[in-house]
Amino acid sequence: MTRAEVRRAAEAVLDHPGADAVEVVIGAASSGVTRYAGSEIIQNIARDELQAFVRVVVGDRAASAATNQLDAGHMTTAAGAALEAARASLPDPDFPGLPSPAEVGEATPVGRWDDDTAAASPAQRAEAVKEIVAATAAGAAAGIYETGAHAWAVISSEGIDCFDAFTRCVMTCLADVGDATGWGDDSSHALSEVDAAGAARRAIAKAEASRGATDAEPGSYDVVLEPVAAGTLLDYLSYAGFGAKQMLEGESFFAERRGQGVADPSVTIVDDVRHPRSVGIGFDFEGLPRQRVAVIDGGVATGPVSDLRSARKLGEPPTGHSSGSTEFGAYAANIIMEPGHQDLEELIAGVEEGFLVTRFHYVNILDRPTTLLTGMTRDGTFRISGGEVAGPVRNFRFAQSVLEALANVRGVGRDLVALAPEFGSFGSTAAPALRVDGFHFASTTSH
Amino acid sequence: MSGGELGGLLADAIDAATGDGAAYADARSVESQRQSLSVNGPTVETLDYGDSTGLGVRVLVAGAWGYAATSKLSRDDAVRAARTAVEIAHASATVTSAPVELVPEPAHQSEWSTPVKKDPLAVPLEDKLALLTDATREMGRRNEIRSARATMDVVKQQTSFLSSEGASIRQTIVHTGAGIEATAVADGEVQQRSYPGSFRGHLGAGGYELIEAMDLAGNAAQTADEAAALLVAPECPSRVTTVVLDGHQVMLQVHESVGHPTELDRVLGMEAAFAGTSFVGIEDLDRFHYGSEAVNITSDPTSPGGLGSYGFDDEGVEGRRADLIREGVLVGFQTSRETAAKVGAARSNGTMRAEGWENFPLIRMPNINLLPGEGSLDDLLADVDDGIFMATNKSWSIDDKRKNFQFGCEIAWEIKNGRLGRMLKDPRYTGITPVFWGSCDAVAGPEEWRMWGTPNCGKGQPGQTMRVGHGTSPARFRNVSTGVST
Repeated sequence: MTRAEVRRAAEAVLDHPGADAVEVVIGAASSGVTRYAGSEIIQNIARDELQAFVRVVVGDRAASAATNQLDAGHMTTAAGAALEAARASLPDPDFPGLPSPAEVGEATPVGRWDDDTAAASPAQRAEAVKEIVAATAAGAAAGIYETGAHAWAVISSEGIDCFDAFTRCVMTCLADVGDATGWGDDSSHALSEVDAAGAARRAIAKAEASRGATDAEPGSYDVVLEPVAAGTLLDYLSYAGFGAKQMLEGESFFAERRGQGVADPSVTIVDDVRHPRSVGIGFDFEGLPRQRVAVIDGGVATGPVSDLRSARKLGEPPTGHSSGSTEFGAYAANIIMEPGHQDLEELIAGVEEGFLVTRFHYVNILDRPTTLLTGMTRDGTFRISGGEVAGPVRNFRFAQSVLEALANVRGVGRDLVALAPEFGSFGSTAAPALRVDGFHFASTTSH
Repeated sequence: MSGGELGGLLADAIDAATGDGAAYADARSVESQRQSLSVNGPTVETLDYGDSTGLGVRVLVAGAWGYAATSKLSRDDAVRAARTAVEIAHASATVTSAPVELVPEPAHQSEWSTPVKKDPLAVPLEDKLALLTDATREMGRRNEIRSARATMDVVKQQTSFLSSEGASIRQTIVHTGAGIEATAVADGEVQQRSYPGSFRGHLGAGGYELIEAMDLAGNAAQTADEAAALLVAPECPSRVTTVVLDGHQVMLQVHESVGHPTELDRVLGMEAAFAGTSFVGIEDLDRFHYGSEAVNITSDPTSPGGLGSYGFDDEGVEGRRADLIREGVLVGFQTSRETAAKVGAARSNGTMRAEGWENFPLIRMPNINLLPGEGSLDDLLADVDDGIFMATNKSWSIDDKRKNFQFGCEIAWEIKNGRLGRMLKDPRYTGITPVFWGSCDAVAGPEEWRMWGTPNCGKGQPGQTMRVGHGTSPARFRNVSTGVST
């Protein structure tokens, strides 16, 4: 999708008769996902998709309609449906209106784009899977190798005119040696930076090291969380509480603890799409420049991310994090936890008795204000004894407040690992390994 | 674009695929319309309409799969998608060990539609908003309620399916639903109650008549009252006790601990890297005691009113009922044509579905139903001297083999001497799947049984969200661990 195509589609409706203002958000993607299991390709797809969301404003009422056809006829039909819905809607005194560049500034693209990734062929993806399968020949491998190109645009009758595009290559590998599994993954905006074979070797090594797992008693332990595990906690922390709407509605920890110390001073978490490890676009879904926001700075809960509506309610400048959903509000889509100074071995060396966690599975929120989560460990959980990895254990269920865990951080890894979202293509997280004291495991399972 | 024009594109795509060497090809177009409404207090937060049309072509070349999808709807684009699918299948064939085989299925020529009494897309928007705001106004009367939300969702999807084997199927499926949710906040604590279910209420197959039957406004005051009462209710204790679950929570218990583990693709390891595998294997069929004799569970697209009610799946297999658990014993899996062949089954039971046109079909739960037992909820409670009744799912988590689980509900009550007692907040319970189902000593009868819907089941890579159904009634479980030590 080119900027010219987007503008042509939007211009068909920007002056739609009867509308006071019109905003068009268009997302397009061309992607290929090669999926393998049992060390063979089982599903393999390519798809071209797009969606145009036409939001029409009448006074203080707004509604939107979407279409996946960009011709003038479909765009006009969508605008007409949105206009009709807006007229039938209810007055919304808090509606902030559509922004103008004079009011909110002009966003510049991030441009995280790689031509080779955008042009990757099915044969290239299959070659990458061959490398993975070869590297995990001692077991069975399962995962994906994905390449894709994504473009987003926001254009409005008020002068907003944003366009940005990114590419992404994601590979995952679960190695299964029969009685144990191990995990490796890698992602980047450029496929040349993705070391598929290296990640596969990590997966098979971890699977081999996980054989003969023994039981361990549930309880509170000092742990080292590898970056994938730490990243999952950060994602859920963001979902549970980084948005201003959740704060305004009393559901976020910010409602009670803004300005207070909530984490160890070594913990700084920012949303920053322009960080080299981030993959994303330079504006939000209202067309505002996406600002860098230190959500937790030196352990202090400094402030949430916001969109126009929540920023106005807070009486603060918007940070440019509209999720496109008034119902959900703002969302921090590009989380970075600032790295520390220790490598993984040094973090492990600091634990006398505890556990090393590779990654988590099926995490869910138990209590939003306290950021209490539950979930399972998987694909490599190991006992640490005397500062060294001392053998595999069966998986744990954890029940743990993320903020309490961050308050108990005793070491932050120096390597920042980029993580692609588990579901969908938007957003990114980059996390270091963490050493956390007193992490609570509630129960165990049979493998 | 008319159905006939789309059908022509699908035929062109299949011709192109087989002309390029595909041994098998199917093509599927999907035209969908959706409406999503959300009201928070007096404010309309979501008022979204959406249309989407596209097609996908699935081919087998040299025994390997390829799939390509496009939203562009010219003949050239359909043919290009078919040729891309063939190119992809050739690439797949370079990393396969054995050719994909498909069990036979008659080449159906058929049409199927969701029975709808009142077209939900034809109901005036003003009426829908009035219905929702009546409910939010009622919930907002209590001071403790910080957020009073009402939602409504409608999806109408028309699918055409053609295959190189001669199948030609057209289906129209309509899903409609609504719900209300009151969130009470005080002193940093948040409690929530929903009606008729959590996570956007209840959705089913049918028309606006489903929403009219809910009486959202009539249930709003109680919903808000319970949310507020939870703020001052005592915590659900951590103990081992008898638990009775309402139908909504049994729905998610069935979904996570029976529905997913009996998907044959998971059993065969095809979902290992993402959603996980299963604690049961092929060797467990007809032998493994999954639960007590009270536990009878089916996979049934033919049961009406569910989000998994359909005539044919997305590889043209006629939907049919299959027993998964009979009197506690594992007797079946959810299958596809490919996985049925891998285990020597004669036929697929028709559970392959895809989200939209852009996705490759996967084994997805249709309606996974816990068959009713006997008696009412009161009868179940009457046989409990000391226990806990939990209602309305709030959270869920289960391990990658679907064995160790933990669920949270919105609300609970003590059960004392066969009757409900004090309200309890933050009820949670945990267990191991076969132990838990083995402790089920009663399932309530047909008078308590209803079809529930889960609109947000995630699976696959790229991720697909599927709407699935579960017919359940309340059930009783002995010796369950409640609460969670933190």
